[in-house]
Amino acid sequence: MGAFLWSLTSVNWGGPIIHTGGGWSAIQFLTALFPPDFSPDFLAIAFKATWQTVTYAVAGITLAVAIGLPLGIIASGTILKESSPWRTPLIASTRLLLGALRAVHELVWAVLLVAAIGLSPMAAIIALALPYAGILGRIYAELLQDVRQQPLQALRAAGASPLRVLLYGYIQMALPDMLGYSFYRLECGIRAAAIMSFVGIPGLGFQIQLSMHDLLFSQVWTLLMFLVALIVLVDLWSTRVRRSLLA
Amino acid sequence: MSAIREPIVVAEGISKSYGQVTALTSLSLRIQPGERVALAGPSGSGKTTLLYLLAGILQPDDGQLYIDNRSLSHLQPGRELSKLVGIIHQQYDLVPHLPVIHNVLAGRLGQWSLFRSLISLVWPQERQVALSELAKLGIADKAQERTSHLSGGEQQRVAIARVMVQSPSVVLADEPVASLDPARAEEILRLLTELTTSAGKTLITSLHSPYLIHKYCSRVIGLRQGQIVFDLPASDVTEAVLDCLYNLNEYPDEELVPEVS
Repeated sequence: MGAFLWSLTSVNWGGPIIHTGGGWSAIQFLTALFPPDFSPDFLAIAFKATWQTVTYAVAGITLAVAIGLPLGIIASGTILKESSPWRTPLIASTRLLLGALRAVHELVWAVLLVAAIGLSPMAAIIALALPYAGILGRIYAELLQDVRQQPLQALRAAGASPLRVLLYGYIQMALPDMLGYSFYRLECGIRAAAIMSFVGIPGLGFQIQLSMHDLLFSQVWTLLMFLVALIVLVDLWSTRVRRSLLA
Repeated sequence: MSAIREPIVVAEGISKSYGQVTALTSLSLRIQPGERVALAGPSGSGKTTLLYLLAGILQPDDGQLYIDNRSLSHLQPGRELSKLVGIIHQQYDLVPHLPVIHNVLAGRLGQWSLFRSLISLVWPQERQVALSELAKLGIADKAQERTSHLSGGEQQRVAIARVMVQSPSVVLADEPVASLDPARAEEILRLLTELTTSAGKTLITSLHSPYLIHKYCSRVIGLRQGQIVFDLPASDVTEAVLDCLYNLNEYPDEELVPEVS
């Protein structure tokens, strides 16, 4: 609470810079909602853009899971023997790496990668994957640490090595929550993929930008509706997958 | 059991304490192969500690433990230890999210390669072994069900099936029937003793009910305050003896001389 109040005082609120034509723009934008642009030609463009955004988000999050899962498992310490001298340094350095990955926002990664690779879809996908790997790895580590301990002890007593305990115990018990959280991150990834148009990837964000430039607000509304519908669909999908795992 | 047979379990002067609390004091015992031993005694008498030491889950502060002439302190947990001892807990301790068959096959994890353990999650390995144990326990039809959907008694059967699939020489059971109603408790204990005896295994279980002890065990070790108070054939243990063990006033401390067979 104190930190919040302090943060308010340290913001330089500055003088008001009001955009004098803003009121008119806002009215233009709002009235364009009646009706949004549902012409067949534009719907085809919107569907294609939505599909592209989904493709980039899925590719980015898949890569993020592929990087975040092994790092998260190491950071959780579940496969490292208590007695191992490598345990503490390995956990600490993995946690540091995860922290560094997620400390940098995906847009900043995108700027860096565009400078390094150039304007390419690959840059966008990696830019998305790196910070999300940092976030997913950290959450995976916590979910793995929070599972019930007694079934794990029983597995060890039956002679299971740490890796087998991971496969049969930790992963099985943490999987529903890990999947649920990954789906939530897919939603965030879709949002992020949509605004990565400026590094040259096509998709909803790119189309929104085009329509905005042309002041075609009814098209913008259509595209925003597609974006919302997409998030709702991912949410429904996530609920269904989780339910099938828990049933 | 004949006197010439080598004991399968030997404890020599084992002690264990948790900080200031002493759980076991210089305890020694010998158990012959095939015995069905009940550990009796009030809470805090050291039953669970003794079982955990025998299972290799805890290490004694002092003294030596041998199973089948192998010193437990020199055995690595895993493959070797899992052939000698297995343990069933009061709270079953199954992985609730896995289908029953995988919880049963977890008993093989000490023997399987990592690769085999991994593919078994998709194509269950040694499926017949697991199904035959489940069939003996009357729950073969539950093999594909999610473990958390089973009742308490059924889950305890799955835990028994897991330890039978693990197939150690000595089966330990920590209060195996404590959370079950009397009828189910007797059924579980009947199955546990039948299966371990017919497979030629030694059973050591903590147990309180005089009726169950008489019916299913061959020998009773009474524990109190970390020491053995009596060690008798089950037929010699009267209810009066057990009452003394559990009654706080009957045994003054000076009479707590350990009786070691």
